[in-house]
Amino acid sequence: MEKASMESPHSIGQPAGHVEGPAKVTGRARYSADIALPGMLWGQALRSPFPHARIVSIDVTAARGVPGVHAVISAADLPDVRIGRFLRDIPVLARDRVRFIGEKVVAVAAETPDAAEEALGLVEVEYEELPAVFDPIAAMSPDAPRIHEHPEKYEHPPIPPIGGESRYHPFANVCSQNIYRRGDLERGMAAAERTFEHSFVVPPVHQGYIEPHACAAVIAPDGKIDIWISNKTPFIARRQLAAAFGVPEERVRVNPTAIGGDFGGKGSLMDAALCYFIARASRRPVKMVMNYTEELTAGNPRHAALITLRTGVTRDGAITGHRAKLIFNCGAYGAFIPLHFLHGGVHAATGPYRVPNLEIEALRVYTNTVPRGHFRSPGAPQTTFAIESHMDMIAHGLGIDPLEFRLRNVLVDGDESPMGERFRHIRCRETLSAAADTAAWSSPKPPNVGRGIGIYERAPGAFGTSGATLTLDRDSKLTLLTGAADTGTGSFTVLAQVVAEELQAPLGDVIVCQGDTDTAEWEEGAGGSRLTHMAGRATLTAAGEVKRELIALAARHFNCAAEQVEMRARRFIASDGRELDWDALLAWAAEHEALPLTRSGSFVASGHPEVTCYAAQVAEVEVDRETGQVRVRRIVTAHDVGTIINPLTHQGQIEGGMVQGLGQAMSEHLLVRDGSVTTAHLGDYKLPTAMDIPELTTVLVESLTGPGPFAGKAIGELSNVSPPAAIANAVFDAVGVRLTELPITAEKVYRELRAMERGK
Amino acid sequence: MNPFTYTEPATIEEALAALTRYGDEAKLIAGGTGLVNLMKQRLVNPGYLVSLRRLSALANVSIDRDRGLRIGALCTHHALETSPIVRQHAPLLAEAARRVATIRIRTMATLGGAVAHADPNQDLPPALIALDARVKLRGPKGEREVAIDQFFTGYYETLTQPDEIVTEIAIPPSPSTNGSAYLKFLPQTADDYATVSVAARVSLNQGAISDVRVALGAAASTPLRAKAVEDALRGRVPTRTTLDEAAALVAGIVDPLADFRGSAEYKRDMAIVFVRRALTDAIAGAGGAVA
Amino acid sequence: MKSIRMRVNGQPVEREVPDHRLLVDFIRYDLGLTGAKEGCSVGVCGACTVLLNGQPVSSCLALAVMADGGEVTTIEGLAEGERLHPLQQAFIDYGGFQCGICTPGQIMASKALLDANPHPSAEQIKEWMMGNLCRCTGYYKIIEAIQAAAAGKTGP
Repeated sequence: MEKASMESPHSIGQPAGHVEGPAKVTGRARYSADIALPGMLWGQALRSPFPHARIVSIDVTAARGVPGVHAVISAADLPDVRIGRFLRDIPVLARDRVRFIGEKVVAVAAETPDAAEEALGLVEVEYEELPAVFDPIAAMSPDAPRIHEHPEKYEHPPIPPIGGESRYHPFANVCSQNIYRRGDLERGMAAAERTFEHSFVVPPVHQGYIEPHACAAVIAPDGKIDIWISNKTPFIARRQLAAAFGVPEERVRVNPTAIGGDFGGKGSLMDAALCYFIARASRRPVKMVMNYTEELTAGNPRHAALITLRTGVTRDGAITGHRAKLIFNCGAYGAFIPLHFLHGGVHAATGPYRVPNLEIEALRVYTNTVPRGHFRSPGAPQTTFAIESHMDMIAHGLGIDPLEFRLRNVLVDGDESPMGERFRHIRCRETLSAAADTAAWSSPKPPNVGRGIGIYERAPGAFGTSGATLTLDRDSKLTLLTGAADTGTGSFTVLAQVVAEELQAPLGDVIVCQGDTDTAEWEEGAGGSRLTHMAGRATLTAAGEVKRELIALAARHFNCAAEQVEMRARRFIASDGRELDWDALLAWAAEHEALPLTRSGSFVASGHPEVTCYAAQVAEVEVDRETGQVRVRRIVTAHDVGTIINPLTHQGQIEGGMVQGLGQAMSEHLLVRDGSVTTAHLGDYKLPTAMDIPELTTVLVESLTGPGPFAGKAIGELSNVSPPAAIANAVFDAVGVRLTELPITAEKVYRELRAMERGK
Repeated sequence: MNPFTYTEPATIEEALAALTRYGDEAKLIAGGTGLVNLMKQRLVNPGYLVSLRRLSALANVSIDRDRGLRIGALCTHHALETSPIVRQHAPLLAEAARRVATIRIRTMATLGGAVAHADPNQDLPPALIALDARVKLRGPKGEREVAIDQFFTGYYETLTQPDEIVTEIAIPPSPSTNGSAYLKFLPQTADDYATVSVAARVSLNQGAISDVRVALGAAASTPLRAKAVEDALRGRVPTRTTLDEAAALVAGIVDPLADFRGSAEYKRDMAIVFVRRALTDAIAGAGGAVA
Repeated sequence: MKSIRMRVNGQPVEREVPDHRLLVDFIRYDLGLTGAKEGCSVGVCGACTVLLNGQPVSSCLALAVMADGGEVTTIEGLAEGERLHPLQQAFIDYGGFQCGICTPGQIMASKALLDANPHPSAEQIKEWMMGNLCRCTGYYKIIEAIQAAAAGKTGP
């Protein structure tokens, strides 16, 4: 990872609008639900009304007789295969048992959505209800009904050595258990002068992307399977689909579509495997589009969490020991996360503090509820709400200002992180101080106004392989072929800017083309804040190779060694002073059959990045004591950043992320009652609107460097994490009410205020 | 949605005839934002939709100095919030209309539709109650008028007969010295239904409350008129104490339904707070002050 | 079935549709104009916003037959050939979208706003646009884009 070495950047640092902007603002961008194929049928699924039941019988005879229906299938028509992003425990259609309300049991392909619905209405399924369990604590009891009878049979890739000791299915309904230890917890707690223990409850929330999952499948006469899917990791989707279909990967082609919001929720195959099977059964192309009720009730929302933290401190507030127990409700299946555990949640459980002795136990527990997936910085919003509230509660317990308490404990250069990382150029104090200064942390406040802090650390993603192919045409156009999907973050634009910078080209000369899985190089895809870093580096490599070849061509033209030629401001200059401009070189190269010129680049993760990123937020709130209503007046969000390739998209990530955090803090609660998601449409599950946003001030703290191209860092999963804690801390500062359960509703604050008045 | 037959009568008589012909298989549709939602969820499955869309005579607003405001049932919420006549002569109604849902609902949903639909969480009914509105209905036997505070009989139920159409809302003239306020408590997001809402209208005479109306939405299975609160205030000089005491009486009137927006107890407590706040605002609007 | 006639983006359209066809499905599938999206299906999110007789409506709650005799404007009707409408250009220049799924609805709603009120305040913009949900941007840049378009500004 080197320092930025740009002469005078001309594309890097430009607030360029999205390259796919014209398509998106004119309605031409094609999302999966917009796909229309000749002869296409509509697919729909019949879903279980019971949280846990044995399927006694399924009769589809009447359904098959509905005019316009081409196929009706159940598990009996499918191979006995399980799918998943890592743990493969979910069937394509329920086989023998249903394990959550909304699990797919039967699917139909029909000429119209009405015919499909009519057919599903005629399917007769006989269920024998089984005892169900909805609460993870109850599910961990040995007496709890067993949701998966033989979980040891579920396949998964080898568990990577992260997160401490990891086991699948250790006992009862536990899907996975991780225990991470460092130092000597017993000794650390014994050395404490004060000990604090607090518990926190974080309910599930939904990613809230405005585009519900959609997919389409068609099988060509030669057996080639074409898939369109709202999925941010097309190559991984191909691999998993091929395994589910029992065909070689080359037989499956995942085609690019625009994605209408992902936030982690569009890494699962969702209906895609089923879509293929109904396409096969009906011998026609099939499209399946989830409606938003299906999304809210049977998508893959965020894990709910029950978190207990116990920390020992000295009188002066130095941490001597810390124990975290994280119980994540993973729903009926563990299939929708791409690792064996919520890595980010464990990582964030201690906060970015010096913690010499610690133990973190994380459990993902099966319950008969909707299976959970990933949502922007998965696991971390839950554990950060807990640790950042806990830190404030300790600070108040010791009589230390919460800002001061944090400054005493945050990591600095030379420290080892609780996870054993040794980051360089740690900017946590600077970022925290920047947020506090900008928020005028110590300035006087009117009555019922309070301020609260939340901080979070997350390194740029460094996993998987990224590839890029760059072609320079005779007409000077540079076409970047990428296998990455742009989920809206502006990644295509950032990649285009990397090419433009390296080749000193106008941004308008760069065309970004998302290839399908046949034409593009392997690309791990979007996720874990890796795309700018890794796809960016692959792109930089490919661009560098094109540049090298152009210099070599210039050298041939000059009849000198390549080392004697440099490219500056789009001119090729020989050491003896001869010059050739870009257009002239291209014309010469074209005459000599050297164009079009194509080069590829790839980038493979090699260990952890040496630098990480910090986010520090200060929330300022005003509480209406009569009603308990909390108005978030202002959020200051400070970020330490490397080179920012595109300030417009960078800022967009900060703003959008913060408002998602605001939603989780204030209004979003996926209510699950007796296994049923009762907030089943957006009239009841409340996403923030344009009138709900606070004043936002962004502070960017400069860092020396980052691992991304041109020394960039990452930003996508930072601003959404600590708003709930910052706001909860601000509410306490304002009126002395401490809420340890999200969301922070007026009614909860009201109840606490009235209880305080009664002298509880 | 289940299939149905859609008809667009050209006159009220045709519409009434269709209602009579199709009986309980028919439903009226104006803007449709409420009804289509229910039909998409299959909670309501009419075989016939009788559209009022072409009855443009029902979309007028007129003012008569003696008889007051007459608003056609087909006026949209957006027409109400922007109409200079409504804003001048019944600002409480314009304000309540402005607070309904989102602009897309307001361009389609109609006054008559809102009144006939009788969703207890809606914004217009409490404002109409506080304005002493009268609902005009037309059926095969002719026309009748009903006072709005008699009109709502139950959860999504009104006095409207299956063969009747709400044609007009009449609002009697009120003194220009009235003050009014519509408060919609939205503790979650701005596009939500109210946790509780209050419409208040006050007339002052030499510093005392000469007349007052208080109505609540989202506080029971129907919109409510808080007569006990009104009675406690009539003739009194408004002070913080009199308002507090009067507002507290609303606890015995409301019967809130617990939902995602609040528990019944919380809604009851908030009804008290917002009755007092709405009265305070209305008094200020009437040029008075709370001592 | 009903025979309906209307103008869509200035062009006459005549089709036979089932009585219960929703306007959003008519636009997307009968006419092939997939710019309007179906998001929440209950009229809350605004992804399906089109203009009906110049007014913003939730096409997921409207019946196609209710547009008979009327004028429908969708996102596809805004640009003039390759020339983008100022709102479209502003949304690009100011980062008023990310994934783009809500964007056709946002732009149609904001066009209706500027038609009714050419110089709205930030407060007025928020009130009008509050019904168009966005999960990517946090709304700040949507408001900036609308302000810029209203002010005739190009480029941040």
